[in-house]
Amino acid sequence: MGFDFKYSVMWESVPTLLVGMKLTILITIFGLVIGFVLGALTGLLKIARNPLSRKLAGVYIESIRGTPIMVQVMFIYFGLPMALGMRIHPMAAGVVAIAVNSGAYIAEIVRGAFQSIETGQTEAGRSIGLTHFQTMYYIIWPQALKRMIPPLGNQFIISLKDTSLLVVVGVGELTRTGQEIIAANFRAFEVWLTVALMYLVMTLSLSRLLNYFERKMDINK
Amino acid sequence: MIKIKNLHKSFGTLEVLKGIDLDISQGEVTVIMGPSGSGKSTLLRCINRLEEITSGTVIVDGQDIMDKNTNINMIRTEAGMVFQQFNLFPHKTTLENVTLGPLKVRKMSRPDAEKLGRQLLEKVGLADKADTYPDHLSGGQKQRVAIARSLALRPKAMLFDEPTSALDPELVGEVLEVMKQLGREGMTMVVVTHEMGFAREVADRVIFMDDGVIVEENTPKEIFSNPQNPRTQGFLKSIL
Ligand SMILES: Nc1ncnc2c1ncn2[C@@H]1O[C@H](COP(=O)(O)OP(=O)(O)OP(=O)(O)O)[C@@H](O)[C@H]1O
Ligand SMILES: [Mg+2]
Repeated sequence: MGFDFKYSVMWESVPTLLVGMKLTILITIFGLVIGFVLGALTGLLKIARNPLSRKLAGVYIESIRGTPIMVQVMFIYFGLPMALGMRIHPMAAGVVAIAVNSGAYIAEIVRGAFQSIETGQTEAGRSIGLTHFQTMYYIIWPQALKRMIPPLGNQFIISLKDTSLLVVVGVGELTRTGQEIIAANFRAFEVWLTVALMYLVMTLSLSRLLNYFERKMDINK
Repeated sequence: MIKIKNLHKSFGTLEVLKGIDLDISQGEVTVIMGPSGSGKSTLLRCINRLEEITSGTVIVDGQDIMDKNTNINMIRTEAGMVFQQFNLFPHKTTLENVTLGPLKVRKMSRPDAEKLGRQLLEKVGLADKADTYPDHLSGGQKQRVAIARSLALRPKAMLFDEPTSALDPELVGEVLEVMKQLGREGMTMVVVTHEMGFAREVADRVIFMDDGVIVEENTPKEIFSNPQNPRTQGFLKSIL
């Protein structure tokens, strides 16, 4: 029994898959924006002078890095509502999961970038009379941000791909949409191939975009 | 200008400065020498409070730097610091390095700050490098920009911590020239350096430190030709 590959199945599935792709993009964007803020704050707490804030940041980072994202998603969608006594929308659960998960990794990226800036930079800033805040803002942050871009880009791509795990809570993102199409037409090969190509288009565009930013910031050197 | 009384500084259990007394008057050029680990950098860093002192008093321009009413950021602008490793801001052009202090600390307008910045770059011989980033400068040029960056705050004194020891030998001269000129213009300067030629030419006084104390101080002529303390004698032999 020969396998007959049908291009047409691929083309026909694209419009429906695009709807899922749109959700994937939305969840990624919202999740990463929140994740970045969360990560930047946690990263700064991790290098703060206050030992309690370092401890808190450490507990958060370690618990996320030490558990599978699948378990985190299940916990947020199925576990938390039981404890809180309220339902949570699958989309919201998805955004929260991506945010909380990427936040922990971004915190480590932010911490690493800040700590990689030589102490001489801070001392030079302080010695021309800048306050601690001004030194951070004008001297340390711009240099740290530049060093963060490559690892951040990496994390963005990982988080984008992680959204496909949200299939378990029933968010109609790209992977889920693919599953649904296959349930109706049984063309697993063509549909998964199309889904894969669509993820590839998103990750490649994202890395192009980040490369562009990196080069743009590099002109200043 | 700078008055230090019975200054002690410890890092944990390690006492690095063991009772320093030093009086530096306006316009005086003081050179500090001494073996590695003797506390020279720590002493300079205590003067503009990059290190917290353990006990004693440091008075800069009439203000006790440990006093709660003293604005430490302002003290730092009165005593400019030049580092061995230059510590220029790599993401800013030469001119931006120099104007940052005037703009953000002195709240100068941008045209005024840039005018001042260009004047100072001219003074250190780098007028044509205003728009260059530090990565494209030689070590000697970087250090001259660092000097201009400190001068931009119109400090009353300048502190130099081995400003030429990270430089290739052929670049030392251009930096020392700028420093000599500053000295001649009457800038109060405290310079940690082992450049004997510089000390001979511009220093009013040479201080020899060892193991956290001032072992000997005198005019350069006296201390180099006729050192009294055996530790000074030993050290001077080792650097000649
Ligand atoms: N932040 C610090 N924490 C702990 N110990 C320190 C610190 N800074 C300096 N020290 C110690 O204090 C002593 C004096 O250091 P300092 O840098 O003042 O010496 P120095 O005379 O400038 O030496 P060098 O000629 O090598 O620059 C050294 O033993 C050094 O290890
Ligand atoms: Mg030193």
